[in-house]
Amino acid sequence: MTALPQLIVSTLLLGGVYALIAVGLTLIFGVLRVVNFAHGEFLMLGMYLAFWAFALLHFDPYLTLVVSLPISFAVGWASYRGVMRPIVHASHNVQVFTTVGLSIALQNLALVLFTADARFVRTDYYAVVVRIAGAAFNVAQIVAFAIAVALTAGLFTFMRWSYTGKVMRATAQDRDASALMGIDTDRVYAITWAVGIACVGAAGVLLAPIYPVYPTAGLQFVLIAYVAVVLGGLGDMAGALIAALAVAAVEVVGSYTIGTAWKEVLYLLLFIGILVVRPAGLFGQRGAEALGA
Amino acid sequence: MKTATRVVIVFGILGLALGAGLVQGQQPPSGEYKIGVLEPLTGNLAVQGKLHVEGYEIMRDLINTRFGGVMGKKLVFAVGDAVDPTAAASEATRLAAREGVKIITGTFSSTLCGAASEAAARQNVIYWETSCVDPRLTRRNLKNVFRTEIDGTGFGWYNIEFIAKHLAHRLGKKTNELKIAYLSEDSSYGQSVTESARQRAKQEFGMQEVGPEYYTFTTNDLTPVLLKLKAANPDILHHISRDQDAILFWRQAREQNFQVKAVVHAGATGYGNPGFGKAFGNDANGPFALLEPGPGLIIEKFRPEGQLVERAFREAVKTKTGADVLAGGHQLAGGGLWVLKLALDAAKTDDLDKFRAAVLSLDLPVGSAVNGWGVKFDETGQNSNARVQHYMLQWQNGSLVTVWPEEFTTHRAKWIPLGPWDQRK
Repeated sequence: MTALPQLIVSTLLLGGVYALIAVGLTLIFGVLRVVNFAHGEFLMLGMYLAFWAFALLHFDPYLTLVVSLPISFAVGWASYRGVMRPIVHASHNVQVFTTVGLSIALQNLALVLFTADARFVRTDYYAVVVRIAGAAFNVAQIVAFAIAVALTAGLFTFMRWSYTGKVMRATAQDRDASALMGIDTDRVYAITWAVGIACVGAAGVLLAPIYPVYPTAGLQFVLIAYVAVVLGGLGDMAGALIAALAVAAVEVVGSYTIGTAWKEVLYLLLFIGILVVRPAGLFGQRGAEALGA
Repeated sequence: MKTATRVVIVFGILGLALGAGLVQGQQPPSGEYKIGVLEPLTGNLAVQGKLHVEGYEIMRDLINTRFGGVMGKKLVFAVGDAVDPTAAASEATRLAAREGVKIITGTFSSTLCGAASEAAARQNVIYWETSCVDPRLTRRNLKNVFRTEIDGTGFGWYNIEFIAKHLAHRLGKKTNELKIAYLSEDSSYGQSVTESARQRAKQEFGMQEVGPEYYTFTTNDLTPVLLKLKAANPDILHHISRDQDAILFWRQAREQNFQVKAVVHAGATGYGNPGFGKAFGNDANGPFALLEPGPGLIIEKFRPEGQLVERAFREAVKTKTGADVLAGGHQLAGGGLWVLKLALDAAKTDDLDKFRAAVLSLDLPVGSAVNGWGVKFDETGQNSNARVQHYMLQWQNGSLVTVWPEEFTTHRAKWIPLGPWDQRK
């Protein structure tokens, strides 16, 4: 089957894109227990940052990536203080309405500021591909994949072994007990939210040389990122990476063998099937969603 | 009378008065005539929706300043945002019930026009579609629905006409030797154009086909489709796309080194959107898009009345946007609104029966109106495909230029067949 190498490569590269978005989402859920419905819009803002830095200042997206991390972190911090902090202990309904409202507000802000045009960062190397064994590797996608793996590993390490990571995990496990141990849980939430937004902002910058950006660009990625996060086990970063690759595999192979029109049906069937067998996802623990409640 | 009873009565009367004011919309004072303009101004479809509104506004101002308004009155708009079919229906209802309009024009998208026109029919107002191409719009026996643009059947018809009459001989093939691959986003717009093209290509010219393959336009990867296309090795790709998917496809087609002799699209989205050229610059060279006329058009081929309004419209667009090149959304909206003006001036009323009789009696040959269009509506409310002259444009060095029919243009189609990716200069 001559198409097989390309299907494998496409799966890895597309899975990398999904994982890149899912990592920040699962981090936020894992600690704050908030499903961030505005995650796609922060991705879109990262893409616009890369586009305007390229269009106005001729910044290469990989240079913008470095700048984007503190900017996205600051945006995350500000959005936590301004929007999320008052509702972080509220009911799930309130949290859902708030993040959905934030999502709509950011979409329409982008529409007003940047118009609805689809824009594309056309770097000198946008069409450069590496061809091995009949498969084409887009350079920008290889970089995105590598950073997705590195980011997942880095966050995993950070959460597992750093003091701040331990504090974040402790807060996730039991926020009241953590507060009694002297942990400033509000600060932990702010840091977690800001790190999650910095991750997705960086993801946006990395996607800008691959996909066009427009005000609703985040929506087409974030639904699949939600699927990957739930499938991998809520709050589990390695699980999200593996689930993102699984979803991409179903999407790519399904599109090739059955038809592109079927791909959503296929990965959502996989999603339902796995949740029937393992309700907490592939790597999640039963009842994890209730921890820290 | 007790105080409480008085309060209830006063507030009741106030409520009724307010309610009546809200429910019963009003046309503006005499001297103005208001119509509803319904387009998606937010969400995924807003790129084209905003272009259409701008086109309506440019033509409205032109009508008011240079062509005597409509029915002798100044034309004014009440605008609604049809972000999705639900909003299209509710906004159509609002425009009719609260703004008091008797005519609603819009909504460009085939995903919106069905819901908007149904709502307009329930309110007994005229629905004047200027862009959506879903054939079902005018096949529901609704007396209030009219469409100035050709439908999807017409787009498919024109695309196959171009392939059979122009591309086949330049590719050195008979029409029944051509292998066409059909790829399309899966909205009713994409499906109607694709299916009508398939039908004509097969039945009339015996062309061979690959596909069709349909996809959601928000898809993130088209590599599997490209692998199938490469294996099938078609002569021509008939690709109906939106905006972001055309950019994704073109980038990935280049990565996969997908070689096809020609790419043919229809409509103002995707390859027909100026954004495609902005995204790729000269790397966009090659694809064809069936559209309203672009650079290279010989306006002198129009009838005198058509030349007059075409020139005035082009000047007005340039004044407003600074652009020499008209966007498809401007042309469809402006062209459609101009035909509405002709219809209202002929009817002298917005009474549905009299208006409908006037519309059906309009009989203007090709070249009489904006875009070189003619006018001849049938009983379904559809303007005649043969009268709504369309043109094939091609991306050449960062611009869409008119290349067909050759008698209407100074430009000629290039890169037939399309060469290697790095040699389309």
